Amino acid sequence: MNVLTARAAGLIGCTRCGRVWPGEASHCGRCGAPLAPVTTISLQRVWAWWFAGLIAYVPANMLPMLRTATLGHEQANTILGGVIELVAHHNYGVAAIVFIASIMIPVAKFIAIGYLALIVAHEKFAGSHRHLHLYEVVEFIGRWSMIDVFVVAILSALVQLGFVASIHPGPAAASFALSVAFTMLSAQNFDPRLIWLPPLGTDKA
Amino acid sequence: MNDTPQPAELHTTPAPPPIWSRVSVIWLVPLIALAVTLGVAWKSYSDRGVLIEIDFADATGIRPGETALKFREVEIGTVEAVSFSPDLTSVRVGVRVDKTIAPFIDDEAKFWLVRPEVSAQGISRLDTVLSGTFIEGFWDAAPTEQTYQFTGLDRAPVSPDPTKGTWVELRAEDAGGLAEGAPVIFRGITVGRLQNLRLSPAGGVLVDAFIDAPHDKRLSSQTRFWDTSGFSVSLGAGGVSLDVRSLASLVQGGVEFETFSTGGSTVQNGRPFRLFASVEAARNSIFGNDLVDPVRFTLLFDDAIEGIARGTKVHFRGVEAGEVTDISVRMQADSVGNQFARQQVVIALAPARLGLDESTEAEVVTEFLSGEVENGLRARIAGIGLLGTTRIIDLTDVPDQPEARVNPDLEPFPSIPTAPPAANELAASAEDVFERVQALPIEELMASAIRAMDSISVVAEDEKTRAVPGELAGLLEELRTLVDGLNAEGAAQKTISALDRVTSAADSVLTEIEGLGEMLASTDQAAQTFAELPMGEIGEKIDGILGDLRSMLGSEDAERLPRALSDTLEESAALLAELRAGGAAEKLNGTLDATQDAARAVGDATERLPELSRKLETLVSRAEGLVAAYGDRSAFNNEILTTIRELRRATSSFGSLARMIERNPRAFILGR
Repeated sequence: MNVLTARAAGLIGCTRCGRVWPGEASHCGRCGAPLAPVTTISLQRVWAWWFAGLIAYVPANMLPMLRTATLGHEQANTILGGVIELVAHHNYGVAAIVFIASIMIPVAKFIAIGYLALIVAHEKFAGSHRHLHLYEVVEFIGRWSMIDVFVVAILSALVQLGFVASIHPGPAAASFALSVAFTMLSAQNFDPRLIWLPPLGTDKA
Repeated sequence: MNDTPQPAELHTTPAPPPIWSRVSVIWLVPLIALAVTLGVAWKSYSDRGVLIEIDFADATGIRPGETALKFREVEIGTVEAVSFSPDLTSVRVGVRVDKTIAPFIDDEAKFWLVRPEVSAQGISRLDTVLSGTFIEGFWDAAPTEQTYQFTGLDRAPVSPDPTKGTWVELRAEDAGGLAEGAPVIFRGITVGRLQNLRLSPAGGVLVDAFIDAPHDKRLSSQTRFWDTSGFSVSLGAGGVSLDVRSLASLVQGGVEFETFSTGGSTVQNGRPFRLFASVEAARNSIFGNDLVDPVRFTLLFDDAIEGIARGTKVHFRGVEAGEVTDISVRMQADSVGNQFARQQVVIALAPARLGLDESTEAEVVTEFLSGEVENGLRARIAGIGLLGTTRIIDLTDVPDQPEARVNPDLEPFPSIPTAPPAANELAASAEDVFERVQALPIEELMASAIRAMDSISVVAEDEKTRAVPGELAGLLEELRTLVDGLNAEGAAQKTISALDRVTSAADSVLTEIEGLGEMLASTDQAAQTFAELPMGEIGEKIDGILGDLRSMLGSEDAERLPRALSDTLEESAALLAELRAGGAAEKLNGTLDATQDAARAVGDATERLPELSRKLETLVSRAEGLVAAYGDRSAFNNEILTTIRELRRATSSFGSLARMIERNPRAFILGR
């Protein structure tokens, strides 16, 4: 695909408002955002946040998410355990929501971000609209991963009936929130302009 | 060409920026995240407790990850896994125990499940209804070798801390009204609890009693325990008294103890005690705790074992040595295969009462009794007491028994051969005899006998009979007057006067010799007068007396004696006829034995007849004595003797009648 990129034309685009400026400009004259040239440095940040998110995701799944105490009977469930329990209680809808929001989406995000970060290094796939769509979807859907954390936060706040029933967030809640935040930052740090660039090395030569 | 050589074009490549400038500091974030995560993981790994495994029979209410292990009600661990032992006979519960407490869990640690319990004393551990079952553990503060494998108790121990009291084992024949958790009472104060109510493999019931410190000091080896379950109602001079120890003991029973005698030794944990059924039994038992660990034997009786019950005494050669603990029927098959029932009586013997050591093994006792049985020892039912109505089992030598031996392999206990009941039939069936005697017309019999005796008395006391000696005396008197008459006006005086006359005649001869011839004539006259004295009259008079006597003896009065006797006999016969007519015959005809018993009763009644005879004898002998005064062999005497002989015959026939009745009552009663 032969697309004229801003970089090829000696221009630089504002990542916030989209205005194109001459290559020397350091700040966007319209919105004041710093203009950064497209570099692979940003990819490092993507990877760094990506790994941090992945690391935080491990305890998020291994430790209990929610500690429910009902009439002195305390129960602690991990995310996956909760899903299995919901299925066992035939709450398939809720189970599907929790499963999609807490497991499928984060995992899909990891895969998607990792895939995008890897793919931009190869010319073969440069300039793909599909990649842009994927990136937009990842960006959009990332916040919904927080749905589980919200549920835990709201339940913990509302269900405090003392001995009868009380819900406390487990240690997984924090790490899951961190994991989601890290993956969001990772997605944020991905420069979509890289999608359109040929691999930087070949570009220079 | 002085060209200065141009320096070769310098090919430079800019030095690549140092690695640290090319690497974004953002990489610190995942590194920190990794470090924190690993740190947390390591901490939680290193902080996690020690895994111990406890085997339980079942895992009711145990849920992995939730069920807690508690020590003194403080949670110190959580069940991590529930699996099975390799042979699947028990549940292996893996418990993660807090690191700080784990070193104290040594091989003396005890674990049990705590569940809610509802008992008469209330509901306990209600909290576990909501919180769920948990595992309770107890161990002391002295850590020894640490163990990781335990076997859980089936139920909570009587007291978790064995140093805070003493537990003893109570053995009872049956549980009665006892229940788990029932109180142990000492003088009205609850000092302990019962627990682990269970069946004893040797028969009976076992229950652990835990007596809390410091009350356990009240225990001694002489202490006796008894069951205060339920309530007792007693009716006495003071009215009806209802005794209920406590509401709890009414519902779930209770055990009370008291030390009645001194001299006991201190009690160690687990010492067995006998649990008596009542305070009286506890107080009165001569065995005390001897029977706490009795040796049991089975007795198989062919005959009825009426009167034998639980608690019936067992005597060993006359000494009380045990009691009956169980009675049942055992079906057996003979050689042909016919089923027949034998009464199975289980007895408990105190080895000490057999002359053996108190703690003799059952096998040794069996061996000892085997020897005794070979020497003729048998078990039989015997009656003791005044009427033999109190039944006991007597282990004693019974002669002439077929050879038998102890069967040590009989289930459930070795058997001792038995003998038929002791042959004291009269005593044994005294009650029976009484009933039959009662059925006899004994009153009428007695009345008849009394009537007969009265008749004899009438004869004896009759004035005419009494007059016999009087008449005899009269006769004698007459004789005496006769002799006196003779003396007074008889020959002697006349002779004297004649002699006087002779003397005067002689005198006159002497004076008047000349009238000799006349004198001689006067002498002749005098002699003639003498000859004319009434000697024949005297003889006639004596004859007359004898005739009087004879007629007297021939009189009706004298004859009445034997007649009265024969009347008596007739009356007896009539009495017997009455017996025959009175339906007794039909009854007695049925069973010869019954008749014999009746006859015996009649015989008893006729025991009074000899007395009657004796009376007659006395009468006779008195008469004899009287007659003896009259000398030998006179006609008079003969008459008397005949009379006496008749009397004797009557007496002896009366006696033989009695004997006949005794000997052959059937003939007597049936008239054949």
